[in-house]
Amino acid sequence: MNIETVITESVSILTDASTLFIVSAGLTLVFGGLRLINMAHGSFYMIGALGTTTAVAAFGIGGSAGFWLALLVVPVAVAALGAGVEVTVLRRIYGKEDLAQLLATFALLLVFGDLGLRLWGSDDRTLSPPGAVGGRFHLDGAVIPQYNLVVIAVAAVVGAGLWLLLGRTTVGWRIRAATEDPESLAVGGTNLALLRTGVFALGAALAAIGGAAIAPLEAVGPGLDTQIIVSAFIVTVVGGLGSIQGAALGALVIATVETLGTLWVPSYASSAGYIVMILVLAVRPWGLFGTPER
Amino acid sequence: MRLTRTSLALAATAALLASASGCAGSAASASSAASGSTVTIGESTTLSGSIASLGQTGLQGVQLAAADLNAHGGVLGRKIKVVSADDAVTPATGVANVRTMVDGDHAVAVFGPVASSIASAEEQFTSAQHIPIFFHTSNDIGLTTTTFSKYAFQIVPNTVMEPRAVADYLAKTFAGKPVTIATFAPNYSFGTDTVASFIQALKDLHVNYKLVKQEFPPLGATDIGPYLAAIESAQPQFLFNAQFGGDLVTFTKQAQSYALFTRTQVIAMYDYSVLQTLGSGAPAGAIGFDRAPFWAGSSSAMQAFVTEFHATYGDDPSEWAILGYASVQQWAWAATQAKSFSGDAVSAALSGATPPTVLGDQQVRACDHQTELPEYVGTVSARPDPSAGGIPLWNTPVFVAPFSDISDSCAQMQELRK
Repeated sequence: MNIETVITESVSILTDASTLFIVSAGLTLVFGGLRLINMAHGSFYMIGALGTTTAVAAFGIGGSAGFWLALLVVPVAVAALGAGVEVTVLRRIYGKEDLAQLLATFALLLVFGDLGLRLWGSDDRTLSPPGAVGGRFHLDGAVIPQYNLVVIAVAAVVGAGLWLLLGRTTVGWRIRAATEDPESLAVGGTNLALLRTGVFALGAALAAIGGAAIAPLEAVGPGLDTQIIVSAFIVTVVGGLGSIQGAALGALVIATVETLGTLWVPSYASSAGYIVMILVLAVRPWGLFGTPER
Repeated sequence: MRLTRTSLALAATAALLASASGCAGSAASASSAASGSTVTIGESTTLSGSIASLGQTGLQGVQLAAADLNAHGGVLGRKIKVVSADDAVTPATGVANVRTMVDGDHAVAVFGPVASSIASAEEQFTSAQHIPIFFHTSNDIGLTTTTFSKYAFQIVPNTVMEPRAVADYLAKTFAGKPVTIATFAPNYSFGTDTVASFIQALKDLHVNYKLVKQEFPPLGATDIGPYLAAIESAQPQFLFNAQFGGDLVTFTKQAQSYALFTRTQVIAMYDYSVLQTLGSGAPAGAIGFDRAPFWAGSSSAMQAFVTEFHATYGDDPSEWAILGYASVQQWAWAATQAKSFSGDAVSAALSGATPPTVLGDQQVRACDHQTELPEYVGTVSARPDPSAGGIPLWNTPVFVAPFSDISDSCAQMQELRK
C-alpha cells in the first residue's frame, strides 16, 4: 500500500467515522439518559439533511453563508421537534417494557418517513459544499477534498462540546447521574422531566447536525432515515450503550473495518460492521466502553 | 331470558343482513369488471424509501394515461380506475399488493414495479392468474427469459440492451481508435450484469479498448473516495458507471470533489431526474444514456404529452413517467383490439402488434414481448435549458441506438430460457 492510498483511505475513514460518531453520540446519549432505544433517531438525521437543503434555499444568501447559517439553525429546529416528541409521546412510555418503547419509536420512524415524503417529495436533493471549502488539495499524490476535512472538524467540535458538557457542567453531571440513580436525583430537586426532554432534544440535534454535515456530499432524499440508523445502532452497540467515548471509538472501528474491507475483501465489505458487532457481543456484550447490567 | 333471545335474534338478523349486503357488494364488484361502468388497473410500485422517485413518477405516468383515456370515453366504454400500492422494495409485499388488486379490486391488468426482484415475483403470480403485467421501470433481462410468461410485457430496454447502446456509441464515435476504459458498478446482480454486458458488447463490436480498472463498491455505499482515487490513478479516458438515481448523484458530487471529470469522461444514466437533482452541478460533457428522454423526441405527441404532464404535475416527465404512460396506452389499445379485458385476449392482441404510443408506433416483439424501443445516448450540456426550467439536458444531436443493433435475437432469447 503506497502513501497515496494510505492518505486517501485515512481521509475516507475519518470522514465516515465523523458522521457515524455525531449520529451515534445522539443515540447513545438518549439511551444513557433515558434508557430509551430510539428507532426514530434516523428520522432526525434525515430531517436535518433535508431541512438544510430547504434552509439554504430559503435563506437565499449567496456564497457559503447560507450553509453555515443552516448548520446552526436546522439542528435547533430539530431539537425543538425532538422536545415536542418527547413531551407528547415518549413521556407516556417511560418505564414500560422495552418492546413497547421499540414499537412506539418505530411507529415514529414510519410517521416521520411519510411526513418527509409529503413535505419534501420523493426526489433527491443536492447541496454544493460551501464555496470556501468546496475545492481540493494534493498531499503526496493523494487528492483530499476540503469539505471532507470540514466534516471531520464538525465531529471534533461536537466531541469536544459533549466532553465539556458531560464532564465539566452541572447539567452534564445531572445527565450522568440520571442514568445511575434517577430517584435520588429527583429527590435532590432536579426536574427529571425537563432533564429528559433536554437530553432527547440534544440527541435529536446531534442527529440533525450529522444530516446537515453530510448533505453536501450525498444525494439527500427519502430513505436516509433507515440508511443511517442501522449503522448508528451497530456503532452504539460496539462502543457501549450510553457511552460517548464508546460512540467515538465504535465509529472509528466500524469506519475502519468497512473502508479497509472494501479495499481488501470487497465481497464481504457490507458484512464487516455486522461481523464486528457480533464479535463484540460475544466477547464483551456491554460494548467496549459500556458497563455490565447489574 | 327473553331479552337475551331478542338480542340474539337481532344479532343474527344483523349478521344475515350484513352477509347479504356483503355478497351483493362482492357480486357487484365482480360484475363491475365485466359489465359495470369502470374497469380497474393496478400499479404496485415503490413509493417510499430511497427509490421512491422512480415509483412516484412511473405512477404519475400511469395515472395521466388513464385520465387521458377517460377524457376520450375510457376503454370499451368503461372509465379506467387506477389503484396503487407501495411495495416497500419487498417482493412479498409486491405480490400481496397485486393479489389484493386482482382478487379484491378485480384489476384486469397490473403495472410496475421498480425493482426487478419484485417484478419477477409478481410476474409469476399474474401468470397464474392470467392477468397481463406491464413492466415500465424494472428491466432485468430475466423478466423476458427465465421467468417469461405470455402475460408479461416489457417496454424498457433491458440490462443487456442499455450497455450495448453505449458500446455502439463508442464504436461509432471512435471507429477503431484505442480507448482506455474503467468500470464502476454497485456490487449486486444489476451492476455486475450491466458491466459484463458492456464489456462483452465492446468485444462484439470490435472496439479497440483497454480495461484499466474495475470497481464494485457495495450497493448504497455513501463514501466512495477510495474508489475514486483508484480510478483516478488508472487515468481512464472513459468510466462506465452502472449506477442510477440517488447513487449516481452521490457519485457525481464526490467525483467532482476529486476532479474526476477533468480527465475522464464518465458514462452513466444521466437522465432527467438525475440532471434535475444536480442542477447547475450537472457534469457538462459527461455521456448520458436514457431509455426515453423527452428532449430527444420531436414528435407532436411527445411534445403534447410533455406540456400536459408539466401542467398536471408541475414538472417535466422522467423516462419512468413516459414509459408508464406508454405501457397503459399499449394495454388500452390491445383491449380495444380484442374487444375484451380478458388477460388471454389482451395478451394475444398485443403480442407481435404495433400499438401507437407517445413514443411512436413500436412493435411488441412476439417472442419475448419486448417493445422494440431504441436506447438514447448523448453528452450533458454545459448550458441550462430554459424550456426545462434551467436544467442542463443533453447536447444535440442525440445518438440513437436502434433496437436491431442492441437486442438479442429471438433465437438467443429462447436459448436463455433453457
